[in-house]
Amino acid sequence: MKKKVNISDKALELISKGQIKPIPRWEFVARNWGLWLAFLVSLGFLILGISVSWFGLRGNIITPHLWLVIVVIFLGLSFVLFEKTKRAYRFQSWQVIAMISVIGLIVGGVVFKLGLPSRIDRRLEAGVPYYRTMVPMKMTAWNNPEQGYLSGKIVEINNDNFLLEDFEDKTWVITGKPLIRGRVEIKINQEVKLIGNMMSENVFVAEELRPWSGNGRNMMKEN
Amino acid sequence: MVDPKSCQGKEDSELVKLAIDDSSFFYCLMKRYEEKLINYVHRFTYLGDDDVADIVQESFISAYKHLNDCDCNLKFSSWLYRIVHNQAINFMKKNKQSVKIDVENDDEFVEWLVADTNIEKETIKLHFNEYIKTIINKLKPGYKEVVILKFFEDKDYSEISDILQKPMGTVATLLSRAKIQFKQIYEKESKY
Repeated sequence: MKKKVNISDKALELISKGQIKPIPRWEFVARNWGLWLAFLVSLGFLILGISVSWFGLRGNIITPHLWLVIVVIFLGLSFVLFEKTKRAYRFQSWQVIAMISVIGLIVGGVVFKLGLPSRIDRRLEAGVPYYRTMVPMKMTAWNNPEQGYLSGKIVEINNDNFLLEDFEDKTWVITGKPLIRGRVEIKINQEVKLIGNMMSENVFVAEELRPWSGNGRNMMKEN
Repeated sequence: MVDPKSCQGKEDSELVKLAIDDSSFFYCLMKRYEEKLINYVHRFTYLGDDDVADIVQESFISAYKHLNDCDCNLKFSSWLYRIVHNQAINFMKKNKQSVKIDVENDDEFVEWLVADTNIEKETIKLHFNEYIKTIINKLKPGYKEVVILKFFEDKDYSEISDILQKPMGTVATLLSRAKIQFKQIYEKESKY
């Protein structure tokens, strides 16, 4: 024991003289609730981001860059907010990130299955200026025959060509012997993506044929 | 003022509740922990008596202000140690001092140091004040604080976790790394 100092008496004197009072309980409760509320809101945005990204990656949006950025931002924010809660220190950082990610994936998956992301996407398109520029529909990117990309539904099959109706209801004659990638076959009502060359106003020589969704949806990134 | 004797038999959590309305009950809590905290800060900072007293006093006042935030599901002592620990760290940062610890030749600590190493217990005991202390002070600050809490404050992993706000697994890892680093420095210094 070092030099005996009557610290307790001195501290009590300072408390009494300075009329120091304990900070009211409601301030701590409010801070605590505020923190959890902020965490839940952040988690909500993360779930939204995951569900819409999921929707996009399943072939509905070309590449949901914006939503993937939202996922990363809100995953980080949720982690930071959770770390500020009282008992968070008992968990390792990777456990917190894993927990938030699992919740995000499960609830985001449910939201996706309920079909909400497409509605959210449409509402944002209607209400937020430039939203569609930031999150372009896959359809738009694949309806660019001058650049060698075409998509649509097969409506007729002939001996050496087939007819394709694009998503703007224009009919194309597709010639060539395209390399088929992914689980897809040339049959009526099959929705496909084509890579090739536009020969004239309504003739397209296909070099590659892919299913509309599924494998090959990231073609734009590969090129 | 409440006579500290009248607080005898009362649990810390009970005194915390009473202290919120009457600061003199807080006096009982301060008296209960004053000596332990002075020793802890001294071991942990190696500062002079006046600085140690300032740190503990400031910690008491801060603890009193935050009494309503005290998590009574945890041990009050862990909560108080955490405040004192943070106050000490802030003091050291403010004064640009590195953590230099003062430890005693403690049997349990020596046993822990020699376990799973080639270092002999007698060597440690014999040279404790000469250079074992110096080696301990060369450990990383994060290792030193865990060593002090475990062996000199007799805190268990759960309490250390609450004081340092680190997961229990991390506390165990820090302790194990502290020994590895001790062994490395010891072997290096023994060559000379």
